[in-house]
Amino acid sequence: MARRNLTRTKMRSLLASLGIVIGVIAIASLGMFGVALQYSFTQNLGDIGNQITVSPNTAENVTELTERDVRDIQRVASPTATVAPVKQRVEPVSFDRRTTGRQLVYGVENPAELYEAREGRITEPFRTGALVGANIAEEHDLHPGSTITVNESTVRVRAVLAEGDAFSSLNPDNRVLLPASSFQERGYSQVYVIESSGSRANETAMAIRNSLNDRQERVNVMELGSIVDTIEQQFQIINTVLVGIASISLLVAGISILNVMLMSTVERREEIGVLRAVGYQKRDVLKVMLMEATLLGVLGGVAGVVLSLGAGLAINHYTVGDATAVFRMANAWYLGAAFSFGVVTSIVSGLYPAWKAASEEPVEALRG
Amino acid sequence: MKVVDADDLVKRYRTGGQTLDALAGVDFDLDAGEFVSIMGPSGSGKTTLLNILGLLDTPTEGRIRLDGQDVTGLSDRKRTALRKRTIGFVFQHFYLLPTLTAVENVEVPLLLDQPPGLTKRARSLLERMGLGDRLDHRPDELSGGQKQRVAIARSLINEPKIVLADEPTGNLDSETGRQILDEFQRIADEDDVAIVAVTHDDLVNEYVDRTVHLVDGTIGRERKSGG
Ligand SMILES: Nc1ncnc2c1ncn2[C@@H]1O[C@H](COP(=O)(O)OP(=O)(O)OP(=O)(O)O)[C@@H](O)[C@H]1O
Ligand SMILES: [Mg+2]
Repeated sequence: MARRNLTRTKMRSLLASLGIVIGVIAIASLGMFGVALQYSFTQNLGDIGNQITVSPNTAENVTELTERDVRDIQRVASPTATVAPVKQRVEPVSFDRRTTGRQLVYGVENPAELYEAREGRITEPFRTGALVGANIAEEHDLHPGSTITVNESTVRVRAVLAEGDAFSSLNPDNRVLLPASSFQERGYSQVYVIESSGSRANETAMAIRNSLNDRQERVNVMELGSIVDTIEQQFQIINTVLVGIASISLLVAGISILNVMLMSTVERREEIGVLRAVGYQKRDVLKVMLMEATLLGVLGGVAGVVLSLGAGLAINHYTVGDATAVFRMANAWYLGAAFSFGVVTSIVSGLYPAWKAASEEPVEALRG
Repeated sequence: MKVVDADDLVKRYRTGGQTLDALAGVDFDLDAGEFVSIMGPSGSGKTTLLNILGLLDTPTEGRIRLDGQDVTGLSDRKRTALRKRTIGFVFQHFYLLPTLTAVENVEVPLLLDQPPGLTKRARSLLERMGLGDRLDHRPDELSGGQKQRVAIARSLINEPKIVLADEPTGNLDSETGRQILDEFQRIADEDDVAIVAVTHDDLVNEYVDRTVHLVDGTIGRERKSGG
């Protein structure tokens, strides 16, 4: 019966559920937009939240980190952490055998634990050859097997490294990596520590400060874990605000349903009076009316969810560059929440008209 | 056996300081299987009396007994339940539900209970009313007289003890009117259903056992019919 009544007043029902549809879309797609934003941001940040860079504090005349420092760092870092000491030196480098420029080269003992190869292979252990970053490789058309000249000796390129996270201090894109064994220097210019999570990184960073900067500010410890955490919290807040704005549109939708249901009770006053007269209890009438509201809400909700999925695909296509990223847990949550919000709104706004319809005296309703 | 026994019914309306007695002390009895008409000028309280007899409305004063049970002060809930069991209404403006077909309209009073054989019974009632070929038509596809007959079929679906009809022949030509009245008489005689029909139509009085005249909320002269 509820269904029939809705089809009778097709246009009006359509408008009412349109309100719900829009409300649901607003909530779901703004929610998903926030998620996509956060996702693309964290994608750019990559793992920098997990990374710690320890470097000597030149202000205190410390120019390099010693083997002992590295051991100390290894000791305070968690057992699963990667601790990679790195050496640096400026060398005359030629990528094309004709022009020679001065280039910072890095000495790394085991680059395989920090980087992945885009072309070629990173040998373990790393004793000969060179690894080049993606930008350098592109600029000078280098591939595994190409040769470059470092300090007048010829070195073969073993691998081109995969692109790194944009803001990471490990980013290899513009670097040339040589085996640490080819460096005469004993000390290290930097130690990279990679932890499994941002909070671990934070703890480790503090431990390193405590242990190495005990008497003298020997090292600078750079760590972004806490910043990344803060940024992510900010995103959470932004998302909540977005969804809050969307909820207002659902509220408007609720009022439009209230209006539709009220109009329909006024219009169907007599019918409802007949129902009461032929023996429908108040709560029977209430049920029938609420069924209508629920049906409106569910229909609007389903349509809204379907359309939001479409919107989500578009959003993710443009922000993350991967439309299927829409099928993520966080999005499912927003869709579900938007749907239940839609249904609840429509039931709540159907409540008063239904009650009004049910509690009218049939004699009043039926008088001419 | 008396199905309705009402004593000294008063219905008083207060509108803007004025009081109006739509019913001013009406005694009304009804036996099972009796066919009674109520006549009277417009505004004399006919519909008001019918509503009170049908438990749609409550009297301001007086008592009303239905089937021996005092129903004067019953709660809305109990009155509704009793209405469903014992009373059938034919309204002045039929009031069919526009979304439903004729059969569905007849089923409406019992639609929430869905007793077995409901549809079959609704169909056979409509067939008895001569609407066998209009079963699946919507109200807007029916003539006034046909709508009236659907409304009568609806009033009978719950096998009531009393049928209350407001102007049942008001919209019908005399031919169809007779058909309806024949049907009412048959229901009264065979099924022992008491029928109260409010009417302006003298045709009705050829069929009824008794006519009650209502003037300004009081019973006027009462006349036994020959029928
Ligand atoms: N809710 C109400 N408030 C005030 N007055 C009312 C109310 N209901 C009915 N009346 C008055 O009670 C009187 C009787 O009304 P009722 O509807 O019973 O008349 P009726 O005999 O059925 O008339 P008709 O033949 O025109 O249908 C009328 O004067 C009407 O104005
Ligand atoms: Mg009347």
